[in-house]
Amino acid sequence: MKIAVLSGKGGTGKTTVSNNLAINIKNTILIDTDVEEPNSHIFLKPDIEKIDSVFIGYPEVDMNKCNLCGKCGEFCRFNAIIPAKNSVVVFNESCHDCGGCAMVCPTNAITYKQREIGKIYSGKTKYDIDMKYGEINIGEMSGVRIIEEVKEKIKNEEIVIIDSPPGTACSTVAAVEGVDYAILVSEPTPFGVSDMKMVVEMLREMNIPFGLVINKAKLGDDEIYEYANNENIEILAEIPFNKEIAKLYANGELFSIHLKEYKEIFENIYSQILSKL
Amino acid sequence: MKIAVSAKEVGLNGKIDDRFGRAEYYVIFDTETKEVKTVENSAKNESAGAGGKAVKVLGDENVNIILAPEVGPKAITALKAFEIEAYLYAGMGLNTVEDAINAFNEGKLIKANNATVEEHSGLRKA
Ligand code: SF4
Ligand code: SF4
Repeated sequence: MKIAVLSGKGGTGKTTVSNNLAINIKNTILIDTDVEEPNSHIFLKPDIEKIDSVFIGYPEVDMNKCNLCGKCGEFCRFNAIIPAKNSVVVFNESCHDCGGCAMVCPTNAITYKQREIGKIYSGKTKYDIDMKYGEINIGEMSGVRIIEEVKEKIKNEEIVIIDSPPGTACSTVAAVEGVDYAILVSEPTPFGVSDMKMVVEMLREMNIPFGLVINKAKLGDDEIYEYANNENIEILAEIPFNKEIAKLYANGELFSIHLKEYKEIFENIYSQILSKL
Repeated sequence: MKIAVSAKEVGLNGKIDDRFGRAEYYVIFDTETKEVKTVENSAKNESAGAGGKAVKVLGDENVNIILAPEVGPKAITALKAFEIEAYLYAGMGLNTVEDAINAFNEGKLIKANNATVEEHSGLRKA
């Protein structure tokens, strides 16, 4: 079973929720697909046992074969390959490795080379669960390939918690694709609510059942409750704003380990999800 | 020699544009025949790589020189491949296409050898 944890923007407590949830469910694996800024490993502190590189292809043109017909450039919707006067310009970082330009090239002038765009780290956490996280190399534009590869490394029988990238970008869609349930984490502030609406639309579009976890509850106003009520969105849990939680977070600790009364919140979230699937 | 100017409006009296890859038009002036032609920038709505594609539009028109506000790194690479030189008018207070061409003829514009703006700077914020 796969459960994605999402948020409208960064810093709403998505990692807190996904990590605390993961350590309170037996036999889980947590994957952090926020490849631009993975931070679950800061809390879960895994011993990394394996590092895999993620590669992506890009075209290389043999100018002895190329007749500058222009077909590759017309095909590429990312403008990653542009036939010019005496050469064909290739922008490696823009290439999505779709393979199309080689297919349309009439002279077989195009072959693909591979380059590394990021890495996947796998290890055992000190909480007795496994985790994997992807990290994109600096300067790379799209982490979608890394996210897809992290997900491919997951076995079917595992219970997987997916810490997803914030917002509704391509990378978020890639992280959420194919999950059984999504947990949307939001703060009860006006900004939190407006960012969250976009995610709600995305999840509905993708036909993924979801529920809401309100972090730092009671800190803001009631808009989030009204919104959830009007939209028929179930509130799975509320995590209160609490100095002790904040302090543990700042120290890179997971609060449900230290504050046993919160353990129940996460066990509850999980049993509510199970009852719906 | 053909000189293209990044423009918001058509013709020599048109306003210059403050973007290159996502400019509305390119006004092309042929220094030999004195002919003026305005082409629409078909790259302006591309979701990615507008700068490179815009250069192709100019290359297809056999442009030799482009007068532009600033150019990004991809555009520079593509300009080299199409053997087009770029001269920059950002911050010079120029108004029309004709102004830009005059400034170029008077040697006031600086030639771009490297990217003068960061990548993606022409993208509108969503
Ligand atoms: S492989 Fe696809 S994305 Fe890459 S240059 Fe070719 S057509 Fe463009
Ligand atoms: S399609 Fe092939 S032959 Fe045509 S320009 Fe591209 S690389 Fe050259």
